[in-house]
Amino acid sequence: MESQLVSISSTLLYAAFIIYLVALLPLAASIKSKSKKPGKISIVLIVAAFIMQLGYFILRWIAQGHAPVSNMYEFITMFAIMMIAGFLITYHYFKTQVFGLFAIPVSLLLIAYGSMFSREVEPLIPALQSNWLAIHVITVTLAYGILSMSAVAGLIYLLKAVPATEKSWRARFLESIMAGIVIVITFIATTVLMQSVIGYQDDFLYTDKQGQTQVAEYHLPSLVNFEGAVPVEHAGENNYEEADHFHSGINLPPLIDSQKLNTVLWSVLAGLIVYGIIRLIIRKRITALIKPLTDRADLKLMDEIGYRSVIIGFPIFALGGIFFAAIWAQIAWSRFWGWDPKETWAFITFMFYTIFLHLRLNRGYEGEKSAWLAIIGFLLIIFNLIAINLLVAGLHSYA
Amino acid sequence: MELKEIKCGSCGHVNPPGTQLCQSCGKMINSDYDKKKIKDLMRYDGSAVRSKVRSKSIFDKIWIFFTSIKVGVSIILAIAVAAAIGTIFPQEYFIPIGVDPADYYQENYGTLGYLYYTLGFHNLYSSWWFVLLNGMLALSIIAASIDRGIPLFKSLKNQRVKKHESFFRRQRLFKHDENTENAEKIIGQLKKKRYKVRQDGNNYLLEKGRLSRWGPYINHVGLIILLTGSMLRFFPGMYVDEIVYLNEGETKDLPTTNGQYYVKNDGFTLDTYDEKSKEVFDQALNQGNNIVSNFQTDITVYENESSEVVGAKPDLTEIDNYSIRVNHPYRFDSYELYQSSYDDSQMKAMTFRLEDAEGNTVGENFTVNLDDPEQSYQINENTEIKMRAYAPDFLEIADNGTLVSETPVPRNPAFVFEVNNDGESELSLLQIMNSTDITSGNDYSIRFVEAEQHMASVLTLKKDLTVPLVAGGFVIFLLGVFIGAYINHRRIWISLEDGFTLAGHTNKNYFGMKKELDQILEANSLTPVSDKFEIEDKAKDKE
Repeated sequence: MESQLVSISSTLLYAAFIIYLVALLPLAASIKSKSKKPGKISIVLIVAAFIMQLGYFILRWIAQGHAPVSNMYEFITMFAIMMIAGFLITYHYFKTQVFGLFAIPVSLLLIAYGSMFSREVEPLIPALQSNWLAIHVITVTLAYGILSMSAVAGLIYLLKAVPATEKSWRARFLESIMAGIVIVITFIATTVLMQSVIGYQDDFLYTDKQGQTQVAEYHLPSLVNFEGAVPVEHAGENNYEEADHFHSGINLPPLIDSQKLNTVLWSVLAGLIVYGIIRLIIRKRITALIKPLTDRADLKLMDEIGYRSVIIGFPIFALGGIFFAAIWAQIAWSRFWGWDPKETWAFITFMFYTIFLHLRLNRGYEGEKSAWLAIIGFLLIIFNLIAINLLVAGLHSYA
Repeated sequence: MELKEIKCGSCGHVNPPGTQLCQSCGKMINSDYDKKKIKDLMRYDGSAVRSKVRSKSIFDKIWIFFTSIKVGVSIILAIAVAAAIGTIFPQEYFIPIGVDPADYYQENYGTLGYLYYTLGFHNLYSSWWFVLLNGMLALSIIAASIDRGIPLFKSLKNQRVKKHESFFRRQRLFKHDENTENAEKIIGQLKKKRYKVRQDGNNYLLEKGRLSRWGPYINHVGLIILLTGSMLRFFPGMYVDEIVYLNEGETKDLPTTNGQYYVKNDGFTLDTYDEKSKEVFDQALNQGNNIVSNFQTDITVYENESSEVVGAKPDLTEIDNYSIRVNHPYRFDSYELYQSSYDDSQMKAMTFRLEDAEGNTVGENFTVNLDDPEQSYQINENTEIKMRAYAPDFLEIADNGTLVSETPVPRNPAFVFEVNNDGESELSLLQIMNSTDITSGNDYSIRFVEAEQHMASVLTLKKDLTVPLVAGGFVIFLLGVFIGAYINHRRIWISLEDGFTLAGHTNKNYFGMKKELDQILEANSLTPVSDKFEIEDKAKDKE
């Protein structure tokens, strides 16, 4: 019974993913079209898909008995859903379809990325057995969803305001954000392809920082490897036989996680190649390609939404990301604040948006400056969401 | 610039030096204001802000420094960057207990780690300069709030209804119509939108949400309380953070309570999820990794009736029973006891058997209680084993032949046993994984059979009297932020002296205010308000 709920819930999430993809077509059409029809169709589709995502959330909650926000997969998915919620809220007030064209692809990328982590339903470890888990994570992701809209507004603002052919730093920065998105897409595509479709796997035995022997499963050919790594083949149980795998010969000390670095290197390399191919085909910057989508956007309105999302999202973040977090930390870890890396980066995000608001209100950082700040804020959120968990081991390493 | 009071040429009101807009009628009276310094005249309602007016004395200069937004933002940025640096490598309290940090950072993170340690980044958040940055932030918050808050408060409190005609035109939202017929109706409808209306002859001031303007000052007050609270931790008695190490069955007095409270560990439980827990978890659990479901210490709490009497024997009265689990600390007095971790690495007892030269076991196995060992063990009728020496944490054999123990904790026990059989005796030294005959030609040898581990619970004893202040400060901060962010301060001035003239100002969300106004204007068959920003934009587009 419960297992069925889990599979229904996963199917709902998957179906919603497809519907969002489909909804992008009428959405793109609505930007140019004089008729209101495509816009309406796309919103109906998006709302339907959003309800299905809520279905995923509720069914999974019922099935596993705790809010589905307890590991990387569930947390990233929640963030992606909240981005759609942020879009729908913005749409409700300002009727900005163009937001969907940017918010939905980013949300879908997040879901795709999240599903690369373990999707299994898992029981809660003692530290997570608390009502604060749901309260804390849901408010934080809601705040993230709303704050992301300021970055979307900023991005649209910049795409429209910065001439795509301009030989300037701002134009290059904007283009490098596009290149970054291409790299992320390539990363997800190659990983899925090599790991799930082709099933490429090279095992290496190595000695980690603590002096323990570990097995590294490379799903991409080894460009960098651990110091003294031995290529091996799994021979059942705990036995490994020496084998012959491709390796470039570059070895790094155990301080650096060579396996992750290998994935990053491949992603950047492949991503840049894909980006290069795109540039060769379209013969202009990617920003120039998508710029027409923002033709009808109203710069003043984009600036207003960018500011409003921050001023609405910031208090919610302070509440969920700092205050609720501190209450729970006091109950679970005996201290309300402990400078754990994830806590610290939430604090940095908080401080950053404080700076944003002070500069905006007192020093007149509006328009382009404000747009850039909003994008930096989003990058900070993504950094705290993904990089901190992967790079730095802390108390939050489960998610 | 000489600091003189400014008399308004229009209404005659005398304003304090540095005032931009006449506090009475709103006419601009200080046309030489520095546009670079003050972007939006209406932000503090055109009132005189000290840091923008006085710059002569040293105090003025210090005041300008701390009230400056640039400086404030730089301090916030410095704190954020410092905080980020602190996450590059783990802080000292995250590295294993007992290792020398100097070696740890060098060994694990190489030269960078050595630099990190040498620069003091391993204890960044309690370093003097980090605390100093926070102090500067506090000063900046206080100065800036007083500097802007007081003039703003005064000007909003004393605002007059009647405004100069130029004041109307300066506002972003403006509307003029020759027809004054619908004025009463419009004002009535705005009243229904919860505007408070003040009238002065033919002039009206409609206002709502003034509270929003106090949001920033409320949240700054909250932050100052919070920062003060976090500094109080450095005072003795405000903060206790101790580890209580309790073996099963052990009773100990709680540190820092002066022997007033005792706690007994009635048993530690470590549960893992099994097949029975929930069908959906089967897949996750079948991978062979145990997932812990519960850490729990059952405790009995005692109060010592004779704790006041120095040197008296503890006179314990049971006052409570509780099961401490993660997320469920035990609260008493102003203390809290948390389940922190457990330790099963210490040995409780070791069991041995005696073997003769042929390898046959002699008599019964005997068990040595490592905390309080017995001196002799009778394993059968004519064989007795005496313990001649015991070191719980064996280091070396001293010159006089006794065993030297490094610590009193049974981590690496060693024994000298004497086997007495029918009047003959032989000695042997037993260590973990090793046994050495002391007397020569021993017939018997003692063999290790099994060891039993202590299950100790590690609890954290916490007292933090700064929590109410820090939490209260943050609640006030949040209140201020929500008030400032979610309420809009909207003012509408209406003059019927020369047709119908309306001007609107809000501290944010002109979009919403326009919508509200236009709805009402439209209902009274008037055209929408004109937005100065939009007109400027259109002019720009034409260029």
